[in-house]
Amino acid sequence: MRYLSGPVNRLIEELARLPGIGPKTAQRLAFYLLNAPPEVAHNLARALVSARDSVRYCSICANLTDREICQICSDPERDPTLVCVVQEPRDVVAMEKTRGYRGLYHVLRGAISPLAGVGPEDLTIKQLLARLNKGVIREVILATNPDVEGDATALYLARLIKPLGLKVTRIAHGLPVGAHLEYADEMTLAMALEGRREIT
Amino acid sequence: MKFYKVSAVVLKSVSIREADQLLTLFTREKGKIRVMAYGSCKLTSRKRGAVQPFSHSRFLIRRGSGLDTVSQGELVEMFPQLRCRLDKLGCAVYLTGMVDDLTAEEEPGEEIFNLLLKTLRSLVSGDGELLIRAFEVKLLSILGYRPCLERCVLCHVPVDGSRVVFHAGAGGILCPSCAGKETDGLTCSRGTVELLKLFLRWEPGRLNQLKAGQLVRRELKEVLHRHLEYHLGQRMKSMRFLELLGHV
Repeated sequence: MRYLSGPVNRLIEELARLPGIGPKTAQRLAFYLLNAPPEVAHNLARALVSARDSVRYCSICANLTDREICQICSDPERDPTLVCVVQEPRDVVAMEKTRGYRGLYHVLRGAISPLAGVGPEDLTIKQLLARLNKGVIREVILATNPDVEGDATALYLARLIKPLGLKVTRIAHGLPVGAHLEYADEMTLAMALEGRREIT
Repeated sequence: MKFYKVSAVVLKSVSIREADQLLTLFTREKGKIRVMAYGSCKLTSRKRGAVQPFSHSRFLIRRGSGLDTVSQGELVEMFPQLRCRLDKLGCAVYLTGMVDDLTAEEEPGEEIFNLLLKTLRSLVSGDGELLIRAFEVKLLSILGYRPCLERCVLCHVPVDGSRVVFHAGAGGILCPSCAGKETDGLTCSRGTVELLKLFLRWEPGRLNQLKAGQLVRRELKEVLHRHLEYHLGQRMKSMRFLELLGHV
């Protein structure tokens, strides 16, 4: 874009690198930042640098945190005998939004994918086993995604964890709340039927 | 025509952007094709069941200037049992991965489609290892790499004896005199060769009747993998997953 000066071009190019942002959107965002009061751009730049430099992985659960041990792992109110294994840090956010879970987490940072070449050694499985071997945890909830990679990871973990004598559970598959049966896909409906429960 | 219908087994799905997937399908009508399924990861998507790997589904596909896109999908047959056990899942990944590795796009392959579907059906309750070996030799035969198991591949004389030499480069079994001239032959039992012939004749559904000892299973694996690697020129990616599971 030779019509614009160097710094503006660079800003547009950098914004266009972000996921979901094409050249047009990048241009719009760049012009917004240039037209807005200087504090908007300065605050954004400071927030970006501080988040990038201070955020790291929790030494216990491998979730994103700004300290050595994350807020959830250091919370004494949490049930230390229960651990929920998820694929990504954003899955922890989704689980926390339910407000129904009071145990701890373990973030695998991915899932076993034979075709993409992601093996167990690329995930935080070693750290998980080390946590389980300490003897505090009694139940492991496998909350990986219900797709082939997630299922493969869950089954692989179950095979590793069961010999330790711990209870291993998998989250249920079924219909989303508020959904219409008519619009449900066949596989989900079949899984929901299989996992039906008696009304008490 | 803007739209076309296919009956397909989903070989692979790769997530792209937030909720889209790039699917590799093996269709009865057009062989292997790659199509986009927009929004198929969304909770509200009706296509979600149909686009799951190993599913047998019917698709209405819209022709595009680049990749074609899935307009509608209907699940015909799903194999949930394959996703509940790690060994079965590993076998299904291997079967679909092998078809993906060995076939070219848009080359009609109804025979391969039927073989894959029948093998997936049999895998639900059958012996995964024997089904994989039968699938390997059958697929190689369909693709034109059928090993010669009836007589010596070099001098065409019948081969007797309880031990037989298999040579991947020559493409079959060798008689003792030809075996002496070749260096990297693989010695296996007569039972292994007979089992390979049986695999070529029998439908996957009948293989449940077979019983095979550990020695024969090991020999079958060695012979077929030597043959596969010779003709492929590389190791298949999906093999790594099975090795990881520690069997087959």
